[in-house]
Amino acid sequence: MTDFGNGNGLALAEKYYSQYGLRAKELKGSGKKIIGYLSALGPVEIMTAAGVVPFRLKGNVSEAITKGDAFMETIVCPFVRNVFDAAVKGKYSFLDGMVLPHQCDSIDRTNDVWSYNLNLPYWHFLNLPHVTDNPSVEFTKELYRVFIGTLEKLTGQKITDAAIAKAVESHNENRRLMRELYAVRKMNPPLLSGAEMMKVLVAAMSLPVEESSALIQNVTKEVKQRTAKSDGKSARIMLIGDQIDDVAIIDAIESTGASMVMDDLSIGAKMYWGDVDATSDPVQGIAERYLRKLKIPTTFVGSKDTYPEILDERYGHMKKFISEFQVNGVILFIYKYCDPYGFEVPAMKSYIESTGTPVLYLEDEYSTSTLARVRTRIEAFLEMIA
Amino acid sequence: MAEEKKGRAVATQTAAKIPKFVRGNLSATLKAHEEGKKVAYAFIADGQDEIMRAMDIVPAWGESFSGVCAAKRDAEKYLQKAESDNFSRSLCTYATCNIGFDMMREEMDGQMPEGAPWGGMARPDMMIGSGQLLCDPRFKWPQATQHYMQDVPVFVGSMYYPPFDPNTNHHEQEKFYVKYAAEELRECVKFCEKVTGKKMDWDRLAATVELSDKTWDLFIDTYELRKAIPTPMDTGDAMNTMVPLTFNLGTQEAYDFYVDLNAELKQKIADGVGVADPEKYRLIWAAGLPSWFALGDFQYFNGKGADFPVEVTYRGCEKIERLDLPKANDPLEHIAWRWVRYWTHWYDKAMKRPGSTPKVERIIEYIEDYKCDGVVFHSAFSCRSWHAGIIHQAETLKRVYKDIPILIMEGDIVDISSYNEADTHNRIDAFLEALEAYKKRNN
Repeated sequence: MTDFGNGNGLALAEKYYSQYGLRAKELKGSGKKIIGYLSALGPVEIMTAAGVVPFRLKGNVSEAITKGDAFMETIVCPFVRNVFDAAVKGKYSFLDGMVLPHQCDSIDRTNDVWSYNLNLPYWHFLNLPHVTDNPSVEFTKELYRVFIGTLEKLTGQKITDAAIAKAVESHNENRRLMRELYAVRKMNPPLLSGAEMMKVLVAAMSLPVEESSALIQNVTKEVKQRTAKSDGKSARIMLIGDQIDDVAIIDAIESTGASMVMDDLSIGAKMYWGDVDATSDPVQGIAERYLRKLKIPTTFVGSKDTYPEILDERYGHMKKFISEFQVNGVILFIYKYCDPYGFEVPAMKSYIESTGTPVLYLEDEYSTSTLARVRTRIEAFLEMIA
Repeated sequence: MAEEKKGRAVATQTAAKIPKFVRGNLSATLKAHEEGKKVAYAFIADGQDEIMRAMDIVPAWGESFSGVCAAKRDAEKYLQKAESDNFSRSLCTYATCNIGFDMMREEMDGQMPEGAPWGGMARPDMMIGSGQLLCDPRFKWPQATQHYMQDVPVFVGSMYYPPFDPNTNHHEQEKFYVKYAAEELRECVKFCEKVTGKKMDWDRLAATVELSDKTWDLFIDTYELRKAIPTPMDTGDAMNTMVPLTFNLGTQEAYDFYVDLNAELKQKIADGVGVADPEKYRLIWAAGLPSWFALGDFQYFNGKGADFPVEVTYRGCEKIERLDLPKANDPLEHIAWRWVRYWTHWYDKAMKRPGSTPKVERIIEYIEDYKCDGVVFHSAFSCRSWHAGIIHQAETLKRVYKDIPILIMEGDIVDISSYNEADTHNRIDAFLEALEAYKKRNN
């Protein structure tokens, strides 16, 4: 077990961020099975209950795709391509298997490209629906039961309802702790920079839940001992997107003097807002959480009668974040070739702007190769809202 | 699917009726309100056709309209309009073309934009999308469109099938997939009843589904006539003759169209008339939507003695008996079984060939049945749903089957800016040269 003694939380987050997968490799060495997954739809509660280590994959924005393009089309989401490239180059050779949740076309249409080329001992495609009505919840429960069956076969251990319920508690506690850490960013100026937060988020998704919780607690304690260093007059920015998992963009924001105080990213707030309800069948609560509480564009939301109500259903949480975190500018950063997020842009942008908050929309790659251009646009935006 | 600027000769007279069919579908949307009918924005291959037909809902097919705009090389203004409100050029251009058109029509208080291809498409009373293991725009497109037509209600259902996994028995999962699909179709019926104010006539729905089954069977019987050497019809025509199956399923007109096509193909075979004269190379169009603005490329192939007796694209049906469907008294359950089995009925075969996949197995089956010499894929840059994974299909085909010549063409479905005719023709020439060498080696 890693030393989570007082005072070293941020240093540890930095270590796990910069040496991504380090702890998973150690755990693998001690006999644990490591299961990689993509996207916020990975049902970590079930994996934890199975006794395996859920490990969320990321790419490397500083590394060019040199191998993956031979197997996967360049029209696929640049994030997915980059992670795949890292995987085929052997960066994740310590994995015992992977679960690929059906988030979008870029994932489901390349499922066989991944499974064939990585050839891991365990592979599961989790065919989650885009719709959230009651039949969809029942269907998702069936999918989870199939998934549970495959994990039982992998580990040779029965996954009991009690184990799932316990894992649900652990992950809910993990989310609560992360929300507590987010709360220190409500202060003006925030006690934790956006870049530091990004490192904690990335480190957390690479750890078993108990270690992740210990890390977060430690960081929170450390940060709360800080005193504000600036006058609290800098712009407070919220970043929205899917898996942004590198500090490059955040550095581009914060190097101008602005602070990234909140996010709605798939490794950030999207992951940590919305707990699993304790239900008599624990799989029920998990299905409801991933379909109905996780606010990602690949789940269709539109149960209300009027369009303004539907927009509140889809983006109301962003409005709340803007208010609670005193956000005065939003950067919407969408990857190229992303239909689920791309089709949201006009509605999301106008919804946020209706709160009086300016929005900068950027469409770009999962790569620092275009960072200079992005930085210029961010700087111009921040000047505008200053 | 539609006429194009230069006018593409068709090998069959029956295919020449298609522009009238497409125009008919568009004008049906424009006349619907006069006839007391509701119009629904709808998306192909969603399993919802028969529900709409049985309830007298007129489907307005965005994919068809965008295809028409592309074929007439008149899509750019709509793409630019969508882009002006931050819809990226990398998104599905069927959707962005249609949304750009909708934006223009809304800005004119519902009046048809001037010069809209073939009279344009009517403003809908509802939008019926679908979440699937197939295409994200099928649920994102109606959601995005609602931003410009906020009073138009949207329904999104789910039509899933078990994913292929050689280590998993898909037969054990089919039942809950069918249950889910049938329940989602029932939700669709409820939505349609609410918007139209009418109740579903279940006997009519059952009769419509029966007619669809007959159409599926006749479609396959007709297309299998193309196994003849020389083939009497190729993919260039099939990109047109798919219209009744794809956009008019559950109507007598669709069935009758294939009766005519069937008769014409039989006559051509009897007369020994083929598409390419002489037919030197038989190819399979193994995946990908075509560039609607460049359908003339099929003629380019034909002019070089190459034709396509078979394609995977838009062959969205199978002989019903081959699907071994369980008896279902509920027509929605029947649609659900038909949907699931349409996808899974290649799985057992794929499991028997180590390393194969259902998509590749289907291509192999067609190569064998239609005696093809080479394989052509088309990769459209704005569409991930049909075009991501093509490289893997091509490589798997070579690995598990044989080292057959393969061409992967690149372009788009609607956006002509991605297309270069000279480059495309050069690539076709090089491919046919390689094919010639391959044939010589193997003879």
